[in-house]
Amino acid sequence: MRRATPERLAFSALLVACFAWLVAYPLYSHNQYWQNVLFFAFLFAVMASGWNIISGYAGYVSLGQSAFVGLGGYTTGIIATRAHISPWWTIPIAAAVAALVAALLGVVVMRTRGHSFVIITIAFLLILQLVALNWASLTGGSTGTTLPLTSYPREWQNTPFYYVMLGLVLLSVLMTWAIRRTKFGTGLIAIREDEDKAGAVGINTPVYKVLGFAASAVLVGAAGGVYAYYLTFIDPTGMFNILYSVFTVLAVLLGGRATVWGPILGGFLIELLREQTNVHFGASSLNLVIFGALMAAVVLFLPRGILPTAAAWFVGRRTRGVPGVAEGALDLRPGLALAARPEERPAESSILLAADGLVKRFGGLRAVDELSFYVREGTITGLIGPNGSGKTTAFNLIDGMMRADAGEVRFEGRRIDRLPPWERAHLGLGRTFQITRLFRQMTVLENVVAPLRSFSLAQLAAGAVAGHEVERAQELLDFVGMSRFAHAAAGTLSFGQQKLVELAQVLMLDPKVILLDEPAGGINPTLIERLVEKIRELNAMGRTFVIVEHNMPLVAELCDPVVVLARGKRIAAGSAHEIQRDPLVLDAYLGEGWTVDEAVTA
Amino acid sequence: MTGVIQTIVLGVLLGGVYALAASGLTLVFGVMNIINVAHGAMLILAAYLTFAIWTHTGLDPILAALITTPAMFGLGWLIYQLLIRRIRQAPASTSVLLTFAIALMIEGIIGLIWKGVFRAVTPGYFNDSVKVGSIYLPTARLYACVTAIAILVLLWLLLTRTWAGRAIRASSQNPQGAMLMGVDVASVAALTFAIGVATTGAGGSLISVLYPFFPASHYQWISRLLGIIVLGGMGNLTGAVVGALLMGVAENICAVYISVQWVTAVPYVVIFAVLLLRPRGLLGARTREDVAPA
Repeated sequence: MRRATPERLAFSALLVACFAWLVAYPLYSHNQYWQNVLFFAFLFAVMASGWNIISGYAGYVSLGQSAFVGLGGYTTGIIATRAHISPWWTIPIAAAVAALVAALLGVVVMRTRGHSFVIITIAFLLILQLVALNWASLTGGSTGTTLPLTSYPREWQNTPFYYVMLGLVLLSVLMTWAIRRTKFGTGLIAIREDEDKAGAVGINTPVYKVLGFAASAVLVGAAGGVYAYYLTFIDPTGMFNILYSVFTVLAVLLGGRATVWGPILGGFLIELLREQTNVHFGASSLNLVIFGALMAAVVLFLPRGILPTAAAWFVGRRTRGVPGVAEGALDLRPGLALAARPEERPAESSILLAADGLVKRFGGLRAVDELSFYVREGTITGLIGPNGSGKTTAFNLIDGMMRADAGEVRFEGRRIDRLPPWERAHLGLGRTFQITRLFRQMTVLENVVAPLRSFSLAQLAAGAVAGHEVERAQELLDFVGMSRFAHAAAGTLSFGQQKLVELAQVLMLDPKVILLDEPAGGINPTLIERLVEKIRELNAMGRTFVIVEHNMPLVAELCDPVVVLARGKRIAAGSAHEIQRDPLVLDAYLGEGWTVDEAVTA
Repeated sequence: MTGVIQTIVLGVLLGGVYALAASGLTLVFGVMNIINVAHGAMLILAAYLTFAIWTHTGLDPILAALITTPAMFGLGWLIYQLLIRRIRQAPASTSVLLTFAIALMIEGIIGLIWKGVFRAVTPGYFNDSVKVGSIYLPTARLYACVTAIAILVLLWLLLTRTWAGRAIRASSQNPQGAMLMGVDVASVAALTFAIGVATTGAGGSLISVLYPFFPASHYQWISRLLGIIVLGGMGNLTGAVVGALLMGVAENICAVYISVQWVTAVPYVVIFAVLLLRPRGLLGARTREDVAPA
């Protein structure tokens, strides 16, 4: 999709030249000092690349990345001192152990986010360091362990390590590049942007995260093994070194988060800087001050990193004077995107979705209190009620954003209230939000392509934006009149436009029932008309709707039946006409002084 | 039996000091939604300041809190204005990275000034103890704990009985609301951060008589304090006190009945256990997370 601009070609040529030079370097120079510097640059590049997957793509910032160097190093050390096994075996084992522990950590910390997650990663690193220190019979404790020398000709010096580590850098780049191009990568980015929403559009977030953790650790574990052989000595503070975690974070922030090459560039920069400070000041307290200050400066002044900043500069230069997308008008072509479902709607269609005795408490408040209602197939069912009557909470219980304290939700006769959100989405339940929740840094097209209608491991490797999906997404964007904005970042759209994109996004799931939370809230009348038209069209094609809405004329026009909620309970249900005459409804919801005819004719 | 009671009493005495050290951390988190990872380093810095005052003037280390507290208040205010103020709107991870960077700088500066060796402050009563019934109370721990409780009471009065305190609590519960009610939320944040760091002044003076310390001790301290506030419920001052007492007792029990070398593992175990089993901690309120901020 990205065209080969001159800058891009120059960048590729530069990369190839750099790589060729790195491969050739030990062949013409036997300078062990510079080989050592480059070895460490490779190590930091591998660590940074791994960190970038879980922290750059998935947004889970970790300060524990050096734990995987330590795990890899100690795995190698423990095996190598006890058995005569070739490094060709111990290094892969080290990689596997690191990946396994990372996946386990991923399972264990599944529910922690933000602050709690960072705290856990620090604790994880320090507790491993403590175990290495205290479990002396296995690890040698604070005195460390000396590894046996590897058995290649001495005159090769450290060059074999150089090449193995360079190979790991190359693998890291390939892995990052591959991840970014697959569903796995877009899923991780969706998790970074809005994890709950990602679940609601069918992304199996736990599996994505656990695999993301494993991917972020596997090559780092291997690098730790190589590093242990290289040093021939391991000890707890050297291997589980929190300063290396800092270097990792710095490398990625400096080079550019969520880019393929940023972490590599950052790794090299950090090592050059580290080498300079070591030469001039020795490995002293001053180093801590320098790297601390550098980290503060990067966090404050260069949050995007070098590569994205440079890329933005080039793009800015290239597109100077070209109007942005914000001025584009809505494209009002009547589009048709969806194949009609075989439609046979009997007078009394079957019940598609049913809530039975739902209860949700927040502290002492019962937001939803013994709520029961059902939705017949092919209807547009309205869900109305005063503010705080539990409408949105009911949606959250139905689509799985929240778990009910009691009661059942059934979809096509099957209980779904214990299923996670993505499985409910796979069954055919789609939902939009009162305040739109698009993945703001993705483009509109990427947003619409993001939903997943099923889950399989093979799917993780599928292309991020495959051809037929793009076609379908384009059709859906046509359908809602937003195709002109396909390549704009979702966060730059107006609220009403975001609502339309979110509708297209949900339609990508090809849902049987669509829950719309205040579709008309905060958007202009023309857009509302358009939305009503679209809902009718979709309904005619067999989609069932449940709509929460405060716009009474719209509800009266569109919805039949209407379910009325008050204080978390259903107080009435029937046609709009019927409920408008229901004294209970008038009393609880519309309030005094409201006349029915005004509402209908308004 | 006496052994058990003795262990618990010693733990409670420690816990009192832990409570003071953790109070600023939880206060800053509650009001600003920032985890100050440099809190441990600030504590160690204050301990070194106390060490310097004590060696140069012979002033009692606990009385040195009268100097270290305002000094750390000033440092906290300065750090807020220079650094923290710029990332108020940034995501959680940004503040953690920034305060971690501050911790590194403080650790480095301590190392430059006082060298990377263990220091300890040993006033005349360092090895004394008071006997109550069959229980021994080490004098230094007793003084430290009583002082810590007194300062915590002052802090509590400040937060509940003064206008500034009400502004701080209002800002912690609803920043936008507080702003609309005429509270200058930005200067309240500066004040809160400075008060939070000020507690490391007194806290650092007190811990200097309890434990020897060196520049990298701050990792152990921040782990312990994070364990405490996670256990008590992040942002909850009462929770921090309860968490601190439990942590003190748990560490002492571990030292006596399990092994001294695993004491440092106690906070990590607590952090993992609490965040997995009861992420809101003992006294943390479970608030609705579905209500989107407008």
